Amino acid sequence: MKINTVSIIGEGELIPKLKGLLSEAGFKVITADLNGDYAKLVADVDLVLEVAPEDITVKKKVFKNCDAKCQKDAILATITSKPWVTQLAKVTKRPEEVIGLNFTKNPFEEKYLVQIVKGLQTSGDTIRDVKEFLEKVGVTAVKLEENPGFILDRVIASIVNEAAVMYSSKLATKEDIDKMMKVCVNWPMGPFEFADNIGVDRVVEVLDSMAQQLGPKYQPCFLLRKMVDAGWLGKKAGRGFYVYS
Amino acid sequence: MEIKSIALLGAGTMGHGIAQVCAQAGYQVNLRDVKDEFVEAGISKIRKFLGGSVEKNRITQAEADAVLGKIKGMTDLKEAVKDVDLVIEAIVEDINVKKELYKELDQICRPDTIFASNTSAQSITEMAMVTKRPGKFIGMHWFNPAQLMRGIEVITHDKTSKETVDIMVDLCKKLGKEPGVCKDSPGFMVNRLLQIWFNEGLNMYDEGIAEPQDIDTALKAAYNFRMGPFELRDLVGLDIGIASTTTHYRELMREQFRPPRCLIMKVKAGDLGRKTGKGFYEYKSGS
Repeated sequence: MKINTVSIIGEGELIPKLKGLLSEAGFKVITADLNGDYAKLVADVDLVLEVAPEDITVKKKVFKNCDAKCQKDAILATITSKPWVTQLAKVTKRPEEVIGLNFTKNPFEEKYLVQIVKGLQTSGDTIRDVKEFLEKVGVTAVKLEENPGFILDRVIASIVNEAAVMYSSKLATKEDIDKMMKVCVNWPMGPFEFADNIGVDRVVEVLDSMAQQLGPKYQPCFLLRKMVDAGWLGKKAGRGFYVYS
Repeated sequence: MEIKSIALLGAGTMGHGIAQVCAQAGYQVNLRDVKDEFVEAGISKIRKFLGGSVEKNRITQAEADAVLGKIKGMTDLKEAVKDVDLVIEAIVEDINVKKELYKELDQICRPDTIFASNTSAQSITEMAMVTKRPGKFIGMHWFNPAQLMRGIEVITHDKTSKETVDIMVDLCKKLGKEPGVCKDSPGFMVNRLLQIWFNEGLNMYDEGIAEPQDIDTALKAAYNFRMGPFELRDLVGLDIGIASTTTHYRELMREQFRPPRCLIMKVKAGDLGRKTGKGFYEYKSGS
């Protein structure tokens, strides 16, 4: 179905940004937090975008409630960065209309990349409608099958892990490794800068998930685990591989 | 010791560019290759590069002439190396050929001459051990094109002296480059991490998770990578890519470096990237 009205349900700093982005592109946007009777507000919308905390129980509840109130062919999308689309589809009566729309903010520019995550049951029509919608919003989007780490976290967590192995084994300093990736092959950031930006805890979580689903080669380097234990989680904690004032 | 004169062995893709950078920084350079025609080809590439810089008003003709004046082409090995402070070796990537050369150099060079290998794939340790000067043996890994790429990996082995490391780090800076020091190990820093980046991209395609274009687009749009892994594989050549991944896999003996199935199959099919018109993407001739 053609998407005209969107409801954004949840909390966090992303909501006003998404609302701005969608309103500017001409969509009617309704936002609601999880405290009130949000399900009442979704009855007539074409797309529900769930932006609840990364807790599967909370998200399942949102999906169940919205599924009960939404019009028959409305699309229910989750913003999660975890491979939960198929699980969330299971609590609804519309598994074909459930999809993942994960927004990643570009650290250098004011723009987003959307990873469209196809669950096992997500229909081709749903993907087509969502693509058309994102095109109108004016954001770059890519499509993938539900999978731990999606595209971005999988690649970034893997390079961080290898760099951590190299740094732990004292092959080189973290500063030199970061610098060389930038000046020799034009990477936008070095692996340790990526880790601090994304969060060392997030890197470990993605690696653990990949190790579980895809095999032991993704096992996180022990240095990363120790950093999580110490609370050196990256920029957000004031300290990761580097210290931030 | 301060480096004043340099011998550049090998006038090929890397050698001529390195010679140019050294001459531009004011060093006297003996550019040596095994045949006159190789030496001449290298010098004419330097002349062409400098000519382009003059056309773009980046340097004057006089400056270009001065750079060329500092480079002396030759084929005689002894003449090239007998009185220099540093030998930079950029010959064929064959460990046996390199070892033979270093044995000979060790005999004909001054005892205080530093040996720097531009290898990207061979062991610095293994080469150093055929000389009687392992303390003065180091890796100096440049990126192509040497004139433009800012980084140089300085590769040490267990016996490289601190003085040699300091001299090389200092030299890189005098050449206007950014040095990064790394212990001898397969792929050093840059190629090793690059393999992981390539492999994770290609593995996702093998696993049916996403198409090359989606993977490339995601990395470029979200994080400003200039190219995605599939585009860069196509640009460099899939045959070169598979050789590089296979070397890392063999030397590091870890699953992360196993060559992805799609890369193996493309190479078998002769789709080697831009140079054959088809790799992960198709290219119209002339583009």
